[in-house]
Amino acid sequence: MGETEVGTLRAELRAYIEEAFLYLHPDVELHDADEFLELGVIDSLGFVELVEEVQTRYGIAVDALEITEENFGSLDALVAFVERRRPS
Amino acid sequence: MTTLDADLRRAAADAPHKEALVAGELRVTYAQLDAAVDALAARLHAHGAERGDRVAVLLPNGVEAAVAIYATLRAGAAFVPLNPTIKADKLAYVLRDCGAVAVVTDDALAPLAEEARSEVPSVRAVLRAQDDADVAVGDETRGPAFAGHVAGAGTPPPAPPISVDLAAIVYTSGSTGRPKGVTLTHANMAFAAGSIVSYLGMGAHDRVLCVIPLSFDYGLYQLLMCVRVGATLVLERGFAFPGRVLELLEREEITGLPGVPTIFQVLASAGAGGVAHDLPELRFLTNTAAALAPATIRALCDAFPSVRLYSMYGLTECKRALYLPPEQLDARPESVGIPIPGTEAWIEDDAGARLPPGEVGELVVRGAHVMQGYWNDEAATAERLRPGRWPWERELLTGDLFRADEEGYLYFVGRRDDILKSRGEKVAPKEVEAVLHTAEGVRMAAVVGAPDQLLGQAIVAYVVPHEHAQLTAAALRRHCAMRLEDYMVPARIELCEALPTTPNGKVDRRALAEEAAAAAVAR
Repeated sequence: MGETEVGTLRAELRAYIEEAFLYLHPDVELHDADEFLELGVIDSLGFVELVEEVQTRYGIAVDALEITEENFGSLDALVAFVERRRPS
Repeated sequence: MTTLDADLRRAAADAPHKEALVAGELRVTYAQLDAAVDALAARLHAHGAERGDRVAVLLPNGVEAAVAIYATLRAGAAFVPLNPTIKADKLAYVLRDCGAVAVVTDDALAPLAEEARSEVPSVRAVLRAQDDADVAVGDETRGPAFAGHVAGAGTPPPAPPISVDLAAIVYTSGSTGRPKGVTLTHANMAFAAGSIVSYLGMGAHDRVLCVIPLSFDYGLYQLLMCVRVGATLVLERGFAFPGRVLELLEREEITGLPGVPTIFQVLASAGAGGVAHDLPELRFLTNTAAALAPATIRALCDAFPSVRLYSMYGLTECKRALYLPPEQLDARPESVGIPIPGTEAWIEDDAGARLPPGEVGELVVRGAHVMQGYWNDEAATAERLRPGRWPWERELLTGDLFRADEEGYLYFVGRRDDILKSRGEKVAPKEVEAVLHTAEGVRMAAVVGAPDQLLGQAIVAYVVPHEHAQLTAAALRRHCAMRLEDYMVPARIELCEALPTTPNGKVDRRALAEEAAAAAVAR
């Protein structure tokens, strides 16, 4: 995957996070490495939504064991996970 | 001695080096927990917390929260556990309502506590609990910044609480839309903890994983129960990452997992993948707040054949009322069982007559777990507590409708009032509607529940805008999110031109609830 494609993926995921979660927290500025949970922008149920979105949007089958901080905890983590797992 | 603080003293004396708490990288023994509790109790006392005062605990799951709860009790005061997602206005309301003298919190939540404190003169101090948790672990993990407090850690205040003293005020949604404070004595809480421990067969060998917030009574009691039997409690901030929870179950050799349907659905699907082999220590699962789907129950039982699964029912006003002995699960998967040990419960009609099997009526509960009433609210107390069999006794009217089968096992049917249950927490539609009405451009708002697999009930709001008002569902959700705890924010907001009404002109909530349910199915 080229650099531009990763850039597009990052922009797409950021747009989704902003649309689905960040609008509830207008005072929060999200950086790529910020942890969603620590920042309080996504809670337990939010992650259920997020995982579902990733599955349908990118055609990735996510196993429960894969729902970890390393894969879904931040925008950086999410981009890396999707990049690694989405069908090419 | 039936006080909660006595439980901790005894656990620390019996097995000082036993692991009491695990949270992230922190591992704390009973002796260390006891010392940290001494230190914070002394600090609370120094800041003016006296016997009988109220202290708010505003902390996410962690060693700090456990220390804050027991330190408050050791100082002779009652703790008021608060959800960390509470907003400033409601925090101020609760602090004022209970006349809190102090708030124990952390760095992240301290600004919120300070903001609320400026409006509530009774609050004399906002304390950070990290300092005392660091006393427990000797500062190794978090640097030397708090070393000064170790030197100052001194004697706890005199005159410990006795069993009839107030131990906690737990706030719960009331149908009027204002939260009500459930008052519980040491005797109430120690009894409830002891009863639950007995039917779960818990002992010092147990290791319980708590992903439920300690601010909810379901989470809180995991701590009280573990301390009571000298077991180990592993604290985790929520179940956002099922992978992490499964890893913890294995690594920490967890024997008991209290959960809600969401987490058990994940566990069932992971169990089908053979996870059970890695979890030989797992002995019991408990479910409450919302019923498990029969399919989930079957999947769990198949995946974890040696694990005992408990379906339970309760309300903050008595902590827990019913549990289903696991051996009954096959025969009655939809029952929430029988009264917890040492208590009684039965079903009545509106006139107070006991009903035979099969008929639907209100569940009434009797026992030492029944609350003392709502804080400073005699009218609300009188609606729920009525004189009991003895002059000193009061019985609890749960407000929940049940039926019994021929063998006396009980089945939840529904609620009498319009209180919703989402994520296991009570939500008063009026409280959400009141917040919606403060949004500019809102003419009318009605809030109902729709069945939801994950949430139990999803909160759905129907809003009628003023003419020409520029309202969007997203903006309204944001408005709610800034003023309500996370679990109260509507999952869906529908804008409409009018609300359906009943023949006598009231908003027809039943019609709305049916519409919301139909829409949920269509999604």
